[in-house]
Amino acid sequence: MTELRLLDGCTAITEAALTAGCRFFAGYPMSPFTGLLEAMSRRMPEENGTCMNAESEIEAVNMVLGAAAAGARAATGSCGQGIALMQEAIAEMALNQTPAVVFNMARNQQDYFQCTRGGGWGDYRTLTLAPKDVPEAVEHTQLLFWLAERYRMPVILYGDPILAQTQVAVRIEPRDHGPLPPRDWVLDGSSGGTGRSRQVWTWAMGKATDPGPGPDRHWRAIAEKFSEVAAAEQRSESYRTEDADTIVVAFGTAALFVAHVVDELRARGLRVGLFRPVTLWPFPSVALAAATRRATRVLVFELNAGQMLDDVRQYVHDRDTVAFIGGVSIHESGLAFGPLLDAGPIRERILSASEGTR
Amino acid sequence: MGILEREVILCGIGGQGIQLIGKALALAATKAGRYAMLAADYGGEMRGGPSQASVVIGDAPLRSLPILASSAAAVLMHHKFSAFARERLRPDGLLLLNTSIVTDTVAGETAHQGRVVGLPVTAMARELGAPQSAGFIMLGAYAGLTGVVTAAGLETAMRSLLPPYRAQHGDANARAIAAGLAEVSSL
Repeated sequence: MTELRLLDGCTAITEAALTAGCRFFAGYPMSPFTGLLEAMSRRMPEENGTCMNAESEIEAVNMVLGAAAAGARAATGSCGQGIALMQEAIAEMALNQTPAVVFNMARNQQDYFQCTRGGGWGDYRTLTLAPKDVPEAVEHTQLLFWLAERYRMPVILYGDPILAQTQVAVRIEPRDHGPLPPRDWVLDGSSGGTGRSRQVWTWAMGKATDPGPGPDRHWRAIAEKFSEVAAAEQRSESYRTEDADTIVVAFGTAALFVAHVVDELRARGLRVGLFRPVTLWPFPSVALAAATRRATRVLVFELNAGQMLDDVRQYVHDRDTVAFIGGVSIHESGLAFGPLLDAGPIRERILSASEGTR
Repeated sequence: MGILEREVILCGIGGQGIQLIGKALALAATKAGRYAMLAADYGGEMRGGPSQASVVIGDAPLRSLPILASSAAAVLMHHKFSAFARERLRPDGLLLLNTSIVTDTVAGETAHQGRVVGLPVTAMARELGAPQSAGFIMLGAYAGLTGVVTAAGLETAMRSLLPPYRAQHGDANARAIAAGLAEVSSL
């Protein structure tokens, strides 16, 4: 076993990305993503990789598109504000099948719609993993590089300031997720007219001498691929839900806090559990329906105005059991969570919503 | 659950070395093969702003929250910005006070049911000829009272954290750790 190392989330993610073979990174500073860009800029050159401080997020994501199309394991990131600028390129990558990892080291949980619905064009989705802590972010980072290449698509890690900055003793160990398909699509530098050139093209029209499937067939195939991913890649954690009357649904760091409160309330004799979507897209619809079958109350806790709430309402066993106990809570700097992300306030909200079932 | 995790909230003002002693503690534990977490929180100012470090050490992957719900110990290097540490300290917890500075009698330490240890570490550090090392005296005392890390482990971690242009403070910091440990050895 490798030794424990005390690393902040950004550095741990960087080490995990290098372990997964990432050798190209581009980004533009924006707190708390800046820590990731700094760590990448230190470590990439040491591993014969390249880290570019781009002049904007739009430039960074398009650098990644190019590097990935040429066969590099490539990644970019920002916080939600910068990833908003990247939406066109993310949609292009999804539709022209370029694998890449996008790290949203977000300032809060207000980017749920952004990562699960996206703001680009076309029938695409972005597979998104939301780790609860740094050790899980290390696992997820390696898994994401594998998933990106397995399905040839951009994927997202949804982090936050606590994940970015908390220093935790972790082990960075290579993970084998299984074989990957041949990389016969990678551009190799052959140019047009040689007969050997390849295309990575959203419209898939092909060349005059070698017509592609064209947009209709290509985009239907893309849609089928996303349906396949939606069925195959749902991930979730059910914590103390088996006999729970009240199930709280939360993701990422917020779920870590809810799990702590669940333990406290269980010690008081309350039958409370946590359901945690690990993939935000695909939303773990099958597992949520199963976990909530006998619950009388399903409480959604997220640090936004109610975004995952839509998905919970869509897939929960009984929509009438759903109530929202989260809310917008932002630190006065605008760069971090506000006071709602704390065991006490979460406990109070669960208790007051559970009145009558105790 | 059932697995011991030991938390401490270190708090003071920017310039007192809170972040350095927090990192030294977490790193010493990690180097000893234990699980550690360091959640830092500080203002943008170089001096005088809030500075806090929560450190958790355990023998298995940690379950404690990065914003501690409660803490086994609190170290107050300054009374300013100490409300969080005071509120989260468990009733039976260990309260360490820098009595050179923390002289207010806010309900908390006078009413605190657990153990209270006061050390004038700012004055002690001045006597050692290394006023910047007050935090390490306190850290040595914390290590002595809890046994959570060794003085040798702290010293190694501290030296590895000093940038080259601060390396000359390594010996004084090491003496400070030893002084803190000695101060509580008879308690």
